[in-house]
Amino acid sequence: MLPPRARRFFRLAIHRRALLAREVDDEIAFHLDARAAQLVARQMSPDDARAEALRRFGDVDAARHTLNRSATRREARMKLREIVANSWQDLRYAARGIRRSPGFAAAVILTLALGIGANATMFGVVDRLLLRPPAGVVAPNEVNRVYLTTANGFQGLQLGSNQSYRRYLDLAQHVHTTQDIAAHYERERVFGVGEGARQERTSFVTGSFWPLIGVHPVLGRFFNESEDQLPQGTPVAVLGYGYWQSQFGGRSDVLGRTLRIGGTDYTIIGVTPPGFSGLSLQSVAAFIPLTAGAADMFAEFGPNVKWSEQYRVGWLQTIVRRKPGVSVQTATADMTNAFRQSIETQRAVEPAGLLASNKMNAQATLGSVLESRGPRRSQSATVSLWLMAVSGLVLLMACANVANLLIARALRRRREIAIRQAIGVSRARLLAQLLTESTLLALLGGVAGVLVAHWGGALLRSVLLPNLDWSTGIFDHRVLVFAGVVALGAGLVTGLAPIRQLANTDVASALRSGGRGTSLRSSRLRRTLLVVQGAVSVVLLVGAGLFVRSFRNVRALDLGFTPEHVLAIGVTTRGTPLDTVQKEQLAQAMVERAVTLPNVQHASRGLTVPFSSEWTQPIVVPGVDSSRLRDFFYVVPVGADYLATMGTRLVSGRTITDADRAGSEPVVVLSQSAAQHIWPGANPIGRCIKLQATTPCLTVIGTAQDIRASFQDEPSLQLYVPIAQQPQPEIRLFVRVRGDAAKSIEPVRRSLQELMPGAAYVNADPLEDFVASEFRSWRLGATMFTIFGLLALLVAAVGLYSVVAYDVSQRTQEIGVRVALGATAGTVIRLVLADGVRVVAFGLVLGGIVALAFANHVTPLLYHITGKDPVTYAFVVLVLLAVALMASLAPALRASRVDPNIALRAE
Amino acid sequence: MTDQLSLVKGTLDVLVLKTLSWGAMHGFEITSWLEDRSGGTLDVEDSALYQALHRLEERGLISAEWGMTENNRRARYYSLTRTGRAHLRAETTRWLRYTEMVSDILGAATRTA
Repeated sequence: MLPPRARRFFRLAIHRRALLAREVDDEIAFHLDARAAQLVARQMSPDDARAEALRRFGDVDAARHTLNRSATRREARMKLREIVANSWQDLRYAARGIRRSPGFAAAVILTLALGIGANATMFGVVDRLLLRPPAGVVAPNEVNRVYLTTANGFQGLQLGSNQSYRRYLDLAQHVHTTQDIAAHYERERVFGVGEGARQERTSFVTGSFWPLIGVHPVLGRFFNESEDQLPQGTPVAVLGYGYWQSQFGGRSDVLGRTLRIGGTDYTIIGVTPPGFSGLSLQSVAAFIPLTAGAADMFAEFGPNVKWSEQYRVGWLQTIVRRKPGVSVQTATADMTNAFRQSIETQRAVEPAGLLASNKMNAQATLGSVLESRGPRRSQSATVSLWLMAVSGLVLLMACANVANLLIARALRRRREIAIRQAIGVSRARLLAQLLTESTLLALLGGVAGVLVAHWGGALLRSVLLPNLDWSTGIFDHRVLVFAGVVALGAGLVTGLAPIRQLANTDVASALRSGGRGTSLRSSRLRRTLLVVQGAVSVVLLVGAGLFVRSFRNVRALDLGFTPEHVLAIGVTTRGTPLDTVQKEQLAQAMVERAVTLPNVQHASRGLTVPFSSEWTQPIVVPGVDSSRLRDFFYVVPVGADYLATMGTRLVSGRTITDADRAGSEPVVVLSQSAAQHIWPGANPIGRCIKLQATTPCLTVIGTAQDIRASFQDEPSLQLYVPIAQQPQPEIRLFVRVRGDAAKSIEPVRRSLQELMPGAAYVNADPLEDFVASEFRSWRLGATMFTIFGLLALLVAAVGLYSVVAYDVSQRTQEIGVRVALGATAGTVIRLVLADGVRVVAFGLVLGGIVALAFANHVTPLLYHITGKDPVTYAFVVLVLLAVALMASLAPALRASRVDPNIALRAE
Repeated sequence: MTDQLSLVKGTLDVLVLKTLSWGAMHGFEITSWLEDRSGGTLDVEDSALYQALHRLEERGLISAEWGMTENNRRARYYSLTRTGRAHLRAETTRWLRYTEMVSDILGAATRTA
């Protein structure tokens, strides 16, 4: 810093209070002296003159005080002006620097944009799943989801969030530490009638739900507890904001209109605020009283399900708001107590299946209002956290890269910086300038990153969490703040890297060497960064390779059926309940109608949907020791033409036909594995199988190709039985269509809807969807790892290129000498290439070791491949070496064109 | 000293600015100059002058720097800034108009009486 006097000379602020006071004193003293001298010159005695001078001046102390205060204020203002001016200057300097080297700036901004964008995207998801409380919930910390655990004898502890209505009533009666207690349940319900009928997300909530949550309607009112009473509540509905907007155009005269939900007409009484979806992450079309919704829904299950009385009908989840000041621990103990009391009540009315009290180990748990943070965390939440960590890694790499670029640039500007130091620019100012530059770059990167997050978010929404309600946007202010903070952090971190290098710059030598001359230490730091980058790339690319191969293995797996062209069709019967015979007839009519449709090849009845539902049980085979047989076989009731519909081959014997009706000989078709398992090496045709010891023989009439009902390694053991001989109170059809299954959904659905009695509703889904949801985790892993891996590779390549290119520019003279001494262009190219590849080779080894160390952890997530898959590793090595060669090639070619005359003359 | 005039509030600032329009001066020079010009009729404490100086400096109308007097003593020299000069011009006009108006009224009142 300049000495105060020099600073004063340049009208710069003096930052010392004592100095200011002395200046004021000096000025007053000078004035008094001058005045006294004047009076002495007018023949006054020195003592009198002094006294007169003081008298004329007035109150010295008061004046000193005022002058000091005003001086301090003045200084403060000058200081501020100086800071503003400096910052403005730094900013202009930084902007000029960026304009002067657009390629460098683009590289830095792009790198940071990718890093920040990836993180902002992942943050948006993690925030939505794990951090942000559901919209509209007042004081969410006081609200808990209730989970109940009991020991159930054979499965160990069973954690359940599904509770019966009876249990909810008991808990509400016995619990003392809660202010509100409510229950809710969610499912798809059919809205509307006829062709306009659609399935929508519906939330069944108790009347106590609204005061518990604390939300207020934007229109109309919510229902209260008197409208939510047994046996069937009051049919009133509160619409979700989104549904109100899309279906009713946001009109306020919607109040009082009726809406058919399930089998009941509901009167619309209110609308929730935008973004509110109860405690769900998906958007909800309507909220209805729990008792009203349940009465309607359980009617479809027949009269035997007494949902309001039976403890074993578990379906809803209880939520509570604790009384003010009650801790979670206290409330948990209280709730556990209430749960145990409820079990004793249950023992009196419904003792079946209950263990002795001392063995029940009944326990209540109060979890977060966010389901993802409770004891039943979803797969998506885990995967998101995991990806957040990976994206953090990518950001670190991006920062390392930018630091590398900035170091290279700072070294190139050593001469310029030395000049600035020589003319007296302080270290602090230089530091501020460098930090301003890196921060400006980082903020620009942040802006670009937000754009990346915008597109990345769209991708993620479709791949990772297609069911989530994003109406409030992944792009809220929290994500923006997060991106901003990350950008500032990146700016500081990357800006500090070159400063360490420059802090030790020797001005004189930097000026002499003309900005050339390599610092060994800095070059080592930069190479270390590169090795780490290479290693991270290897880890991510190995991950990508493993997941891509898993995904391909899953896709390539012969399922034994071809889901691509098959629609799974179901019926929701509403209002008018059908008996089993009526359902049989309706299903048969639907099959007959379906096969007449132009695009349909085959249609058949069925019951279970592969990858979604199953009927498994042990079987009895006369003459075979049942202890030798597997515990469960898949029983698949099917109609005629089922195998052809699903695309499963018949291997021997005959298939099930319409002739296999009730009353004819009971028959069964086995899958090959099932036949082999029961009668190894023998012909199964004509033999006997029993579903239970007391039921008649099913005669084996054929064998079919094996199928997989899940991605388990073993093909499942299938028993196809004629559905006519095993009547089912369920309507399920499979239809094989030509071409894209998704395009046929509507025509098929509409045509079958015409057959529906009353308000029954047909739904059709591509079978592929059921299968695809099973391999979503591999697809997700493959997609995200590939994206992050390629990002990392790109970042590493840019980093390698910049380092090699810089080294070449530094070694121009050395290369000139080599060429002058007879080195050929080939030798020079090899020299530079070897340099780049050497760095990457280190990274490969390091990354390989890290990846192998994690291999055992990742293996369970893969499919038919181990975490140490040599093909993947070899492929990654080749890719990385190829990239290293490409990144080094341009600088190598430049080096080979060095003209020794010019290079040496520059000395 | 007879017939001393006490200053109308705010006048001292204009007078200081006017003084400095002749060139940079230190505080004592300004006092002496004002005393000379007013023929000793100006009744103002020296401390008031310094407060005025610092006030003007704070407002950016004058600036100060340390310099040496002819007798080689360190003194704080004040000079007009550009805004200070503009301010002086505006204030001078205002003052002259004001005094003109006041003396017109007072003079006219004397004649009709």
